[in-house]
Amino acid sequence: MGSFDEVHGPDGVRAHYQALMNRLAEIGDAELADRLGLLDSFFRTLGITFAVTGHEGGLERTWPMDLVPRIIPPDEWSHIESGLVQRVTVLNRFLDDLYVGGQQAINDGVIPRWLVESADGYVREAHGIPAPRGSRCVVAGIDIVRDDEGTYRVLEDNLRVPSGISYVLENRVAMTRILPVGFASHVIRPVDHYGASLLRALRAIAPPSVDDPTVVVLTPGVANSAYFEHAFLARQMGIELVEGRDLLVDDRHVFMRTTKGLKRVDVIYRRVNDEFLDPVVFRQDSLLGVPGLHGAARAGTVTIANAIGNGAVDDKGVYPYIPALIEYYLGEEPILPNVTTYLPWEPDQLEVILGRLDQLVVKPVAEAGGYGIVIGSAADEATLAATADALHSNPRGYIAQEIVQLSTHPTFVDGHLEPRHVDLRPFVLSGDRIEVVPGGLTRVAMRKGSLIVNSSQGGGSKDTWVLGNGGGHAVTPR
Amino acid sequence: MLSRHAEDLYWVGRYVERAEDTARMLDVTYHNLLESPGDGAETTWGELLEVLFVNALYTGPLESSAVSSYLVADRTNPGSIISAVERARDNARGLRDRISTELWEAINVFHLDLARADFHIDLDRRAYEVFRSIKSRCQLISGVAAQTMPRDDGYRFMLLGLLLERAEMTCRLLSVRYARLAGGNGQSGFHAWVSVLKSVSAYEAYLKAHDASLDPTDVLQFLLLDQEFPRSVLYCLQQVERLIERLAGPSHQASMERAVGRVRAHAEFTDIPTIVDGRLDPFLEELQREIYEVSDEVEAHFFRAGTDLQLHFQRWA
Repeated sequence: MGSFDEVHGPDGVRAHYQALMNRLAEIGDAELADRLGLLDSFFRTLGITFAVTGHEGGLERTWPMDLVPRIIPPDEWSHIESGLVQRVTVLNRFLDDLYVGGQQAINDGVIPRWLVESADGYVREAHGIPAPRGSRCVVAGIDIVRDDEGTYRVLEDNLRVPSGISYVLENRVAMTRILPVGFASHVIRPVDHYGASLLRALRAIAPPSVDDPTVVVLTPGVANSAYFEHAFLARQMGIELVEGRDLLVDDRHVFMRTTKGLKRVDVIYRRVNDEFLDPVVFRQDSLLGVPGLHGAARAGTVTIANAIGNGAVDDKGVYPYIPALIEYYLGEEPILPNVTTYLPWEPDQLEVILGRLDQLVVKPVAEAGGYGIVIGSAADEATLAATADALHSNPRGYIAQEIVQLSTHPTFVDGHLEPRHVDLRPFVLSGDRIEVVPGGLTRVAMRKGSLIVNSSQGGGSKDTWVLGNGGGHAVTPR
Repeated sequence: MLSRHAEDLYWVGRYVERAEDTARMLDVTYHNLLESPGDGAETTWGELLEVLFVNALYTGPLESSAVSSYLVADRTNPGSIISAVERARDNARGLRDRISTELWEAINVFHLDLARADFHIDLDRRAYEVFRSIKSRCQLISGVAAQTMPRDDGYRFMLLGLLLERAEMTCRLLSVRYARLAGGNGQSGFHAWVSVLKSVSAYEAYLKAHDASLDPTDVLQFLLLDQEFPRSVLYCLQQVERLIERLAGPSHQASMERAVGRVRAHAEFTDIPTIVDGRLDPFLEELQREIYEVSDEVEAHFFRAGTDLQLHFQRWA
């Protein structure tokens, strides 16, 4: 089964890559290797690192960025962009329907109630928490892959606290320093307005009675693996980066402790997971949260973004129903299709899965970061048997999907260019409108043949160029 | 600004000043005793521990190598230089967005230097150079801060911590050493006064302002009340008063402003010659108490907003 290559088509190098590939050939491999060294020291000096989980003592690596950018031509991008706007419109709509609406989609039988309510990220206590403008997914990271025919498909929605945008911005800065000649003869849509766009979205969802809202970023603290990004975003937006202990709730209003006394807080862009937000309602042992925060959110005196309980909808078990929800709410076909998915809790589908276990990929619904995934074609007998047992005993815990041979892209490995598998995580902002940041984070599996692109498992990244002449990147939601 | 950031910066200032003062006093004590060894050694080391408020914690022998190692490199001593620098560095790490990269590097490199494995050997063999390098690293930190930090509230809080620590330390030094100074005369009295002046980097400045006869009243006048010497207690308190005024802005906090005004005026309007015989001790004690009061007011007012609230929040049922 062949993969779609982003650069090389049946008739040679695709048109939108020709200028870049010519440049790279002129520069030559030896020079590229030199630049790669520069790149590493660039990230090291800035302290741009991430923690690799599963290693004793929290290993820190510098951010691995590849020298060869990924290019998306304007027509492909406008297809992706309209698909993302459609999808995120519906994700917001369904979440609002679930938590503050009449649960019409459930009542009309589009998706089973038990399935939604058994999702790991479903939060009973989120019922009745208002979300101004219905923007519950203020920042969504939608993972997109390209199958062997080159069709863009949605693989996963990340609606809780998706991370990675700081790398999109830093990759672009690094690229302009390390390989400036690569940019010549391209018109590339900028990404550096992200801070301004995010702040605009956050201000737009302040409680309606507030004229000039105070917005803060809430971080678990320096020890968190994404702390760099939290600090980065606060800096980009020019707002305070707070920890739970900097906030207090009195009489259902949130305040931060400042040297000039208590200051009202109206919008919290939180990078703390739901269960740690408020020890009064959620985990009592949480030191990261703010006692009473949940009550303030329910009273509508503060907006928490992303909204509490979004995990009900980015659950892998709910994912297969998103196309039907698009149909239900908008009466439209999904612009970006899902990957074909089988549901083990449906007896007839379980049979299909068990019969083709060595051709499918099985994913636990509650895991992220590429953990716990079994790729049938690469698994041994024992693993397949164990997977079959797991599917029998806990069908709600898994989904099975057709294996998508992710598209490949030339990547600078061991001193020369080799194809490696890539995916794409664009970032979508919902405030007073839905806005897609041009491009997103292209992740690349640095190991030959590997389909696992997660940075926690040794994946790298690429600067992602959307070609075009700028203008009109905001789309009004329907 | 956030109270947590302000408090962390304030303590960076205090820790760095504490490390520098400790190194300077160690240096002076160590070398005085090299020049004039004798039965005074134990008393002198004991006094140094008392000035630094760790005499009750210290259980080792009162001799130079053990005390030096305790005051410089012992992590179990919360007042040691290595503890102070470690905490300053922890604070600075959470303040990366608030402080300049140069300042962070200066603090981090200092920490790495103290934490290296062979540091102990250097301390044993070349104590003088170690003390000097600690002093100059501290001075580098305050210099880099002065050159690279915008003059905003963050900088003011750091300076405030530094100045309060410095004023406090000078008072304590005089207070502990005073008994000996008052009793001494002739050669030993002269050396004692020189070492006090050197302990606060004031010897050369004093000679320029006065002369080498080292009149005790003049020395006290200089260390407590000089208007131009940046380590005199009055100079520090005047700066503290100005900083607090700026930091409080229009939101006057009567009790804090009263506290700093009181201690500044108390120092400023004291006539040293009339108290030098017999009343210096109570004066210094009172001054120290008033400085602690200012610190308490600063912490309560700037860092503890909301702690007096009886919070009430509803639980969702």
